[in-house]
Amino acid sequence: MRKKNGLVEILVWIVIAVGVLWVLSPFYWAVITSFKKPADVFRLSSVPWVQFRPTLANWKTEFEQRGPEITRGILNSIIIAVCASLFAVALGSFAGYGLARHKYRRWKNRDLSFWFLSQRFLPPAATVIPFFLLMKSLRLLDTQLALILVNTTFVMPFAVLIMKDMFRELPVELEEAAWVDGCSRWQSFLRIALPLAAPALVATIIICFSFAWNEFLFALVLTYKNASPITVVIAGTEHTQGVQFWYVSTRLLLAIIPPTILALTVQKYIVRGLTMGAVKG
Amino acid sequence: MKRKREEKGNLFVVPAVVWVFLFTIFPLLYSLRVSLSKVSYGKILGFTGLANYVRMFGDYRFWSTFRFTLIFALISVTTTTFLGLGFALVFNRKIRGIKFFRSLLTMPLFTAPVALGYLGVMMFYEENGPINVFLKFIGMGKVPWLSHPWWATLAICIVDIWQWTPFAFIILLAGLQSISDEIYEAAVIDTSSGWAVFRHITLPLISPILGTVMMLRIVDAFKAFDIPFSLTSGGPGTATRTLTFYIYTQGLRNFDLGYASAMAYFLLAMTMIIGILFFRRYRELYE
Repeated sequence: MRKKNGLVEILVWIVIAVGVLWVLSPFYWAVITSFKKPADVFRLSSVPWVQFRPTLANWKTEFEQRGPEITRGILNSIIIAVCASLFAVALGSFAGYGLARHKYRRWKNRDLSFWFLSQRFLPPAATVIPFFLLMKSLRLLDTQLALILVNTTFVMPFAVLIMKDMFRELPVELEEAAWVDGCSRWQSFLRIALPLAAPALVATIIICFSFAWNEFLFALVLTYKNASPITVVIAGTEHTQGVQFWYVSTRLLLAIIPPTILALTVQKYIVRGLTMGAVKG
Repeated sequence: MKRKREEKGNLFVVPAVVWVFLFTIFPLLYSLRVSLSKVSYGKILGFTGLANYVRMFGDYRFWSTFRFTLIFALISVTTTTFLGLGFALVFNRKIRGIKFFRSLLTMPLFTAPVALGYLGVMMFYEENGPINVFLKFIGMGKVPWLSHPWWATLAICIVDIWQWTPFAFIILLAGLQSISDEIYEAAVIDTSSGWAVFRHITLPLISPILGTVMMLRIVDAFKAFDIPFSLTSGGPGTATRTLTFYIYTQGLRNFDLGYASAMAYFLLAMTMIIGILFFRRYRELYE
């Protein structure tokens, strides 16, 4: 669309390089710090093997000393995020299918969509206190179930709106043919629409998983020890270890890596996911 | 036959609606009741009317956290939007391998904010932390990142900007890519100035998307908690406590649940006003 221009091309690549450097340098710093001996941490050294000798000692010590706590944290995070994203996407694909294929009379489809979307504007601080009191009276404090319920609630609106868009983009003719053959809505949903939407479904699960994994406020309030996910584990040990950055960085990486890597697999759906379908990427 | 099928289609949306009533509407109503009550250590003692709300308007700490939240939102939202737009304009061309770099730039969005805060503690460490070493290298003095209120505010903003610039970037890039080349080709015939094309063609076409980005960013900035909690613990002193942070401290550390619920309702009202403005303007995007 524009004329090729050598100088502009070079400038563009400089901007790209700066952007990539800006994004990657904190990750890089965390990784090299986790492989540094304590004495090297507070020296300006950033090139392994040249400026400092990398060591696995921090990772080993960390797992020897805090192994059970960390593995429990990661396991809790996995259980909570997997269950919450599966629940949310199950509820979300039902509702999304309903909104895409059915005209609701009393509440119009548009108003229903907005109703789900409005949850995106709800500050977590507004529900954290009633949730705390509720879970306390149900004796669900410090259980994984409490956090599964909370995270399902938060990520479900995403799932509803993304799945609605996905089902709407499927050709309706296939399902109409099935209805003529005597399939019920339920059967055509399960056997035709759902399999066709499978890639979007998986992407939605991954996006929901990442959000649930990263959730912190509710995890901090509703768990103490047994059900604490990794985000709370890294917050809890900070006070006992202070500036021992070589240990801190190992835990940070354990919390950061899974959702960050997973998200790289769903690039096609990310824009929809982030704007809840307002912008099609 | 057809009518019966439609009624069945009706039911698909029911589980999700029931879920929202159970886990959002009901807690919010319960919270309203708590905010109108005197609560001591988790026990509701009695109805106090608007006392908690009146107390809120006279509480200087509430106002200082509210002011901090506004300053933080202003700096973070404008910077992320401008930087994101800049990057999107640069990336909006056909360059080989651009998808790979685009993917790399989305990584910060999916890192846990609380972990980023602790990573920030490492990066902004005043004695020989990498940022201060770099600043010394280019000839600046030692910056008291975490021990001076204004620098701590800036540090929190920088971490937030680092995380959320990609949000503005990829959404605006998607918006730019949806503008067809023909529009530009027609525009180039009329004018040769790149700025004029941007001002009169690109900007009006992406303005709904720009609006969406800013609204979502404002709402998220109002919810900020994780990064101040982990990077500065709200300090030095109480200089970097956001509204959510103060609600958390009052409600779940001091167990002043009634008062915290009243402040939570204030925050809810703020985000709902933003939400309503958003719906008014950008309804058609969600049709």
